[in-house]
Amino acid sequence: MVNAITCLFRKKVTGGDPVPDEEIEAIGQELQCEIDRVFGHSLAIRELDTGSDNAAEIEINNLTNPYYDAERFGISFVASPRHADVLMVTGAVTRNMMTAAQKTYEAIPSPKFVVAVGDDACTGGIFAGTYAVAGGADTLFSVDMKIPGNPPPPWAILAGLLAMMRKADGRQRDKSL
Amino acid sequence: MSAETGTKNNWIRELLGPAYTDDRITNGPGDECYVPVNDQEFRSAAETLALRKFVLAGLFAVETFSDRAPCSLLSVFEKKHNILLLIRDVDGSAVSVADLFASASWFERECRDGFGIRFDGAFDTRPLFLHECYPDDFHPLNKSFQNQPVPLKTEISPDSGYPFRTVKGEGVYQVPVGPVHAGVIEPGHFRFSVIGETIFNLEIRMFYKHRGIEKLAEGKDPADCLRIAEAVSGDESVANATAFCMAVEKISQIPVPDRAWYLRTVLLELERIVSHLNDQAGMLVDIAFPLGANQFSVLREECVRTNARLTGSRFMKGSVCIGGISQDISSAKLQGLPEFLRQFRKRYKVGLKIVLSTPSVIDRFTSTGVIKKFLLRPLNITGPAARASGGKVDVRADHPYGIYDRYAPAIKPLHDGDVLSRFTIKAAEVIDSLDLIERLIAEMPDGDICSSALVQDGCALSMVESARGQNLCWVRVRNGTIDRYKVRTASFCNWQAIEHAVQGNIIADFPVINKSLNLSYAGTDL
Repeated sequence: MVNAITCLFRKKVTGGDPVPDEEIEAIGQELQCEIDRVFGHSLAIRELDTGSDNAAEIEINNLTNPYYDAERFGISFVASPRHADVLMVTGAVTRNMMTAAQKTYEAIPSPKFVVAVGDDACTGGIFAGTYAVAGGADTLFSVDMKIPGNPPPPWAILAGLLAMMRKADGRQRDKSL
Repeated sequence: MSAETGTKNNWIRELLGPAYTDDRITNGPGDECYVPVNDQEFRSAAETLALRKFVLAGLFAVETFSDRAPCSLLSVFEKKHNILLLIRDVDGSAVSVADLFASASWFERECRDGFGIRFDGAFDTRPLFLHECYPDDFHPLNKSFQNQPVPLKTEISPDSGYPFRTVKGEGVYQVPVGPVHAGVIEPGHFRFSVIGETIFNLEIRMFYKHRGIEKLAEGKDPADCLRIAEAVSGDESVANATAFCMAVEKISQIPVPDRAWYLRTVLLELERIVSHLNDQAGMLVDIAFPLGANQFSVLREECVRTNARLTGSRFMKGSVCIGGISQDISSAKLQGLPEFLRQFRKRYKVGLKIVLSTPSVIDRFTSTGVIKKFLLRPLNITGPAARASGGKVDVRADHPYGIYDRYAPAIKPLHDGDVLSRFTIKAAEVIDSLDLIERLIAEMPDGDICSSALVQDGCALSMVESARGQNLCWVRVRNGTIDRYKVRTASFCNWQAIEHAVQGNIIADFPVINKSLNLSYAGTDL
């Protein structure tokens, strides 16, 4: 039998929150404002790896660790492209992934946005022009924002998303005119 | 000299017979011995080696290696301290050893795709890294092929698709998963044959991320190739860069200063810690225990930030270079490390206590995803996955490189081979790595960090124990540029273990089994 009073007073196992990073907080707050305004409080991202060296995935995953906790800004990584607003592409597009990548993109409902994360996704990087790689993400999709880096750190990805939100806002307004 | 080599190579004669005289054996710049054999000799040697508990650690083709044939096949047999490379001349076809060494199956399929070599007697002749979109009779690793885009097939008919093994019977159905998965992970296809919830059979199909790493390296300046080695797998970039540099250093007999090796070792062990923390957090996420997972993901982020402070890169990219390391880590930076590690250790142990005293964790981890010990040798399973199943393998102890002969880790295998064993063995290895880094910093010598030397022509094999296991790298330099860069990461072999580990488990346990093995898709697909 668990004693409720003991539970209240015993030492908490979770420990303290990690020290917040001012730079990340600032980007996050701004990002949240934009997500609230442009995307109605939530931005759903579908990650698509088309041939990265897995470092970019790790950094994207890091966005959900307690240091960044991007979910509090309204960002969620969704399991299905059908639930996504944004396709986040990492790595150069390999020929073996082209069909799967195309299908993933097509499954996302419009309006959709594409963000390329990392040097390889932006330009094809060192793999451009080889037999196995078609090039950067823009060989398959029209890319709305490129976030360079090998790989870009979590805060750079957040900053890139912020820049994309502003661009997306412009695009939405153009359409409404 | 001859007397010395005579005794040095005696083990080969004891193993394979007196026909293997010294003039047939070439000792490589490392521990490896090269022996040319014909097909018949190869087959009987392979049978003996299989009986004598050798593993087939690699099998790859090289062009213009011998003057007798346009293409040669090199098979790397390894057992504890001995490495034997049997060289076969190939003209179109070669004899398969997939019946003796299960690991040979993927190796041979890889050679077939890359070079167009047929393997007589192979039971699996499906393509490996070239998927349906590539044209027929396309073999990119042939030297005659210039690395450029090729016209792809636009129409792929259903019969030309990849034939998966079919499992038939009452109530058996298939669950196809991937290549794009639900989480933020790399692409690969899993074809489950399931009875109810229980997995009856799993077949994996990889190589969606095939980026043509080996072809890309051809003709590159060795220093430029380092960037390619780091791109093999982002979270083991130090290990792969070190393996590549070691091979080039062996070829050119470049001495690496002691301080450089101490620093390299610190980075290698930090990389191991980060990787293990990532797995442990991932395993706990996969059984829906975020409280436990965050203990490790917080520590992991702090460790990654420490990496950035030490080397300027969160993944320590660009820190290892041929001849040493590219920039010194000042003693001021290093002095902060022991205090960080002390705090780290304390909090890590708290995290472990929380996790391992939670009954639901133990319940989900115990007897899940068992890898039987008898699979280790045929499939060449290495790293923590092998050590959790009773395998006493660790490159740092078996083929010590750098300063690991002075700092060899004690191998303390566990025997259950389940997810819990892999979790606990990783926990023990994190603690061991912490101990090692503390010792290295205390005993760090001063001096140069990099020696410059001219890269010479030749070939060499090197092995490194990455966080995932044995990474093998074979480099051949010709006319000052890379002629062949063969890399086989631990994941390439360990991936095949998962097909066995999941049998009899339920589909819902697949993610945690997968995470516990920590397999790199990028490092496999190349």
